[in-house]
Amino acid sequence: MITITRAPPYLTVQNGGRLHSRSFGVPRGGAMDTFAIRAVNAIVGNSVDAAALEWALGGGSVRFDRNCLFAIGGASARATLSGKGVAPCTTTYARAGEEFTVEQITSGRFLYLACDGGIDVPILLGSRSTYLPGHFGGYEGRMLRSGDSIALGARPTSLPAEGFHSAADLMPRYDSAIVHITSGTQNDLFDESAWRTLTESDYRISTASDRTGYKLEGPALGNSLGMLPSEAGCPGAIQIPGDGLPIALMADAPTIGGYPKIAVVSEADLPILAQRRPGESIRFQLITIEQSQRALKRRASDIHTISQLAARSSPDWRGIS
Amino acid sequence: MTTASLRPRPLGDSAVSIVFGAERSAELLRRVHSAARALEAANIPHVDDIVPAYLALTVFYDPRHASYEEISATLLAACDRGTHSSARSPKSREHRIPVRYDGMDLEAVAISTGLSVEDVIARHSARAYTVDLLGFVPGFAYLSELDPSLHLPRRAQPRPRIAAGSVAIAAAQTAIYPLDTPGGWHIIGSTQTVMFDPTRDPPALLAPGDTARFERVP
Repeated sequence: MITITRAPPYLTVQNGGRLHSRSFGVPRGGAMDTFAIRAVNAIVGNSVDAAALEWALGGGSVRFDRNCLFAIGGASARATLSGKGVAPCTTTYARAGEEFTVEQITSGRFLYLACDGGIDVPILLGSRSTYLPGHFGGYEGRMLRSGDSIALGARPTSLPAEGFHSAADLMPRYDSAIVHITSGTQNDLFDESAWRTLTESDYRISTASDRTGYKLEGPALGNSLGMLPSEAGCPGAIQIPGDGLPIALMADAPTIGGYPKIAVVSEADLPILAQRRPGESIRFQLITIEQSQRALKRRASDIHTISQLAARSSPDWRGIS
Repeated sequence: MTTASLRPRPLGDSAVSIVFGAERSAELLRRVHSAARALEAANIPHVDDIVPAYLALTVFYDPRHASYEEISATLLAACDRGTHSSARSPKSREHRIPVRYDGMDLEAVAISTGLSVEDVIARHSARAYTVDLLGFVPGFAYLSELDPSLHLPRRAQPRPRIAAGSVAIAAAQTAIYPLDTPGGWHIIGSTQTVMFDPTRDPPALLAPGDTARFERVP
């Protein structure tokens, strides 16, 4: 078990989300930074789709009620275990009773905390992720509060070494201002000048940004196409409402909607966008579907590499992995 | 119909939309749903989800195992086989949904349509509606076709929160909000019926092709 001793303003249980229930109107949901949650799971030797904590908006503390190998990643934070600094993307060993504290999230938006064995909450519609608008999934369908205790899964028989660290070159370039997009969705609705505006301007993340979507501030894509007959959207889809200012749909976005979509953020770069704070800027760059899929495969293979390196770091490793 | 009239279009690097036409109609929607059932039955590898909508169906796939060209070709072929094999329609169900007509926009709807409140209620509860689509939020069903005298555009300013169970109308459609969500439809009533339960199988009460009637309760 782990117990929330001082809840941060936002704390939920997430994993890869719900991939097979969109036809019932259920969004993919899951972690905002799909790379970081897989990476921290891989680092502690979990299955990459294990449930972990998604932490945002400020500091807080949790207590480990059993011995636990854990790791943090995604957003950068000043964090401690019983007063000693905790390095990112590195396994740290906590003894039962020790307290982990995030003093401050220093850059980025969503921090992930993975514990060996993963977080054990019921699987609903194929996932342990919390879907806050529907009040289901995760821990009782809600944010975690001070005093909550959540169960951890059984510890793997073999664990990565304490201090195992994932190399920086296996991580996305979170500091990059470039976010890649693909076209083709509703191309016919947008003219050359709309495309130029979208790809040659800086867009700032607005304060109106949450797990459903990030409103972007910058030049409007001057048109008012109104509403179209509803059609499927997805996390990363960039839709243009009446005011011409783009909204990038995020994890909890509606499954279908009627706003015209000009482009979709490359799945491999969605974590970079997700980690941008209100006030920070990005620039969109067009790539082909094939390039985008190649980038995503590279991310998947990087996660696989982290899992293998973690297994090999184990004192029990016998050359089989 | 052959695949020649179907057009694939990428929705990012992990989904493809198969476009059936440019004009919304009951016939086009029927073809979309029939193709969606055919794809479902074909059990195509690396397909995660199939989402039908008015003009297109969208297939979410795993791009680590299938390229856009491969999956598009496979889907078009399967749609073609499906439309030629006269895939059976699933058994559609009829639902009765008790409604208390106490919505905050009921009087405004009466004023805008030039009807009395009683007339609005009578016309809304007189019809059997068809479930066009599920989507937006879990269990949200787009129901058609509303009495033409009740057609109103969406509210100019969507409300930040509409309570779960709200019964609403907009343009030619009516719907029940399954959970608290922002929304721009006109609220005319409320129901206790649970539209979505993630522990149920299937989780959504209504399915495309089903019919629903609203029954006035005090």
